[in-house]
Amino acid sequence: MPEGIYCNKRPITTEEELKALLSDTRGTKYYEEMLSLEVDREKLWATIQKTCKSRTQTWLDICARCGLCADSCFLYLVNDCKPEQVPSYKIQSTLGEIIRRKGDVDNAFMRHAMEVAWSQCTCCNRCAMYCPHGIDMGVMMGYTRGLLYSQGFVPWELKIGAGMHRVYRAQMDVTTEDWVETCEWMAEEQQDDWPGLEIPVDKEDADIMYTCNAREPKHYPEDLAEAAILFHIAGENWTVPSEGWEQTSLSMFAGDWEACKLQVENVYAAIERLKPKRVIGTECGHAHRATVIEGPYWAGRPDGQPPAPYIHYVQWVAEALRTGKLKIDPAKRIKQTVTYQDSCNYIRNWGLAETAREILSYLVEPGYLVEMTPNKEHNYCCGGGGGFNGIGKFRPQRNKALLTKRDQILATGAKLVIAPCHNCWDAIRDLEEEYHIHIDWSFLKPLLLKMVIVPEHLKPKDEDDGDEE
Amino acid sequence: MYAFLTGPMLWLSFAICILGCAWRAYMYVKGLSWQLDRVAYGHNTDLAVKGALKSIFHWLVPFASCSWRAKPVFATAFFLLHIGLVIVPLFLYAHVMIVAERFGVSWPTMPDGLADILTILAVLAGLFILLRRFGLSEVRIITTRQDLGIMAISLAPLVTGFVAAHQHGDGNGWLLAHIITGEIWLIAVPFTKLSHAVLFFCSRAQIGIDFGTKRGGQRGSGIVW
Repeated sequence: MPEGIYCNKRPITTEEELKALLSDTRGTKYYEEMLSLEVDREKLWATIQKTCKSRTQTWLDICARCGLCADSCFLYLVNDCKPEQVPSYKIQSTLGEIIRRKGDVDNAFMRHAMEVAWSQCTCCNRCAMYCPHGIDMGVMMGYTRGLLYSQGFVPWELKIGAGMHRVYRAQMDVTTEDWVETCEWMAEEQQDDWPGLEIPVDKEDADIMYTCNAREPKHYPEDLAEAAILFHIAGENWTVPSEGWEQTSLSMFAGDWEACKLQVENVYAAIERLKPKRVIGTECGHAHRATVIEGPYWAGRPDGQPPAPYIHYVQWVAEALRTGKLKIDPAKRIKQTVTYQDSCNYIRNWGLAETAREILSYLVEPGYLVEMTPNKEHNYCCGGGGGFNGIGKFRPQRNKALLTKRDQILATGAKLVIAPCHNCWDAIRDLEEEYHIHIDWSFLKPLLLKMVIVPEHLKPKDEDDGDEE
Repeated sequence: MYAFLTGPMLWLSFAICILGCAWRAYMYVKGLSWQLDRVAYGHNTDLAVKGALKSIFHWLVPFASCSWRAKPVFATAFFLLHIGLVIVPLFLYAHVMIVAERFGVSWPTMPDGLADILTILAVLAGLFILLRRFGLSEVRIITTRQDLGIMAISLAPLVTGFVAAHQHGDGNGWLLAHIITGEIWLIAVPFTKLSHAVLFFCSRAQIGIDFGTKRGGQRGSGIVW
C-alpha cells in the first residue's frame, strides 16, 4: 500500500479530512499505515536539489566531527550522554545520509528519521552557539522535518496541527465567529470590575494590534481578558483583528512550509487592513518565531520584516513599566525565590534576555531572583519545545527531557517560575505533574494584575465594591 | 625530480589551492538564498558586518568563545595544531629564504628554535586530537575515514619538514618527502574538509549575519558567542 487513508503525503485541506484524522484516536491507524508508506525517492531528491543550497550543504560537508556540539545539547546530556544523541550524529545520520544516498532511502529509514527529527531535537539552536563552524543543527533539523513532512512521515498530532492552520488559520478549531464572540464575552464579563473596558475588534489605525495563541480563546479566555485589562490600565489605543488574530504555527513544528505561509499571510493581511502603528504578540515563544522571525521569509518579504513593527509581549511590558504606563505597587512585589525561564525562541533567537530582566527588576523584590544555570541566550530548552510537548508517541522521551529543566529549577531553590511562553509554561506544568517538585509557574499577565496600581478613574464607581487584590 | 617538484609542481599546487579556495568561497556566496536560508542578506548591512566580524573573531582568538572556554584542553590542542599548520610555515626562515631567492621579497621570520617547538607541539596536538577521536564515545561515533585521512595529510608535512630540517648528511629523501606531502596538502585543501580554510570564514560570517541581523542583533548586545 503506497499511501494510507490517514497516513499519506497529502496535506489536510478540508474540515472533513481533519475530523476523520482526529477520529483515529492517538493515531493508532495512522502509525500502522505509516509502516507501509512508500517513499517517493525521485521527489525527495528533486526537493533536496532545489532547496538544499550552499549554506546547508557546507554545514554538512565541513563538520569537523569534533564533538563540541555534544555537551551543548540538553538531550544528549539528559539521555546519559548517549552518543546517538550528539547533534552532529543526529543530523549526519538523517539529513546527511539522505543526501549521500541521493534520496534513495526506505520506509524504515524515514520512520527512524522522523523519530530523530521530532524526539531528539527541539530545534532550540543552542548547538549553533557551540560549534566552531557555526553549524546550526536546529535549523537543519527544521529543514529535515520539511522533507519528512512532504513524504508523509510526520507525527499524527502535527499533521493535524498543520491541517488546522490550513483549514481554520488557527492551531485549533476556532472560527472567526468563535473568536469575535469570545472577545465580546470577555469584555462584557469584565464590566463590573472594569467599567468601560473594551476589546475593540477591527479598529483601523490603532496604536496596537494584538495577536494571540488560539488556545487562549479556546481553553483559557481569561488570558485574553487579562491582556485587555492591562491595555486598559495602560491607556493603550488597541485592537484585535477579526481575521488574522492567531499568531502560532504548528505547521512550523510540522515542517509544512506551505501552511506556514498561509498562516502568516493571514496575520500580515490583517496588519495591512487595519494599519496599526505596531503589533504585539502574546506570551508565546514559537508564535513569535513563526510570525515575526521566520514569517517574513515564508511570506516572501526580502527585508525579513513583518509589514509593521511586531514586538513580543515582554517588550511591551518592559516598555509600559519603564514609561510608567503600568506602575507596580512596591508592597506587592514578589518576595519569594523566583526564577525566569528563558524561551529559546525569543531569547536565544531574538535577543530579549535583557528586556526580560528589566521586567523582573520591577516585579521581584531585590534578592529574590535566582537565575538558572545556564541562562539567557545559553539557557536550555524547557524540554518540550519544537512540538515535543504535543506528540503522544514521544511522550516518554519528552518526560525524560523535562529532567533538565526540573534540575535547573531545583538548583535555584525557586518556588515560582516565570515562564512567558506557552511551550515552556506547558513543559513546566508537566514536569510538576510528573516529578512533583512543588513549584508554581506563571505567565506575566496574572502576576502583573496582582501587582499593578490601578488608577482611581478606572476603578468601579459603586461604593460597595471591594478593592481588587 | 627535485627541480620538477619545486618548480612546476609547486606552482601547480599553489594554483590549485588558491584558485580552488576562491572557487569554493565564490560558490558558497552564490548559493546563499535569502528565502531558503531565511536571512535578509543585503539588509541591515552595518549590523551584518558587525555580526560577521564578531562571529569570526570570537572563534579565531583562543578562548574568546564560550565553547572554547568550556573545552580548554581541546581548544589548546586545536590552536596549537593550527598555529603549526598555518603560522609556522608562513614565517619559517627556510621558507621565506626560498621566496626571497626567487622573487626578491621577504618578510620577518621566526627563530628556528621557536619554529621547532611549535612544530612539535602541533604534531603532538594532532596526535591528541586523533586519540580523542577514539577515546571519547561522542567523538568516535561521528568520526569518519576522511577525518583520519585529513589529519594524516596535515601532519605529514610537519613531521617530514621537521626531520628534514634536523637531519645531518646529504640525503635529501626527507626534504623530497616534505615537498611532496606539502604539495598533497595544498592540493587537498579545496577538495576535502580542509576547505574549511576558507569555508570556516564563510560559515562563521553567515551565522554571524543570521544572529546579528535576524536573530537578536537588532536588540540588546546581540548573541554572546
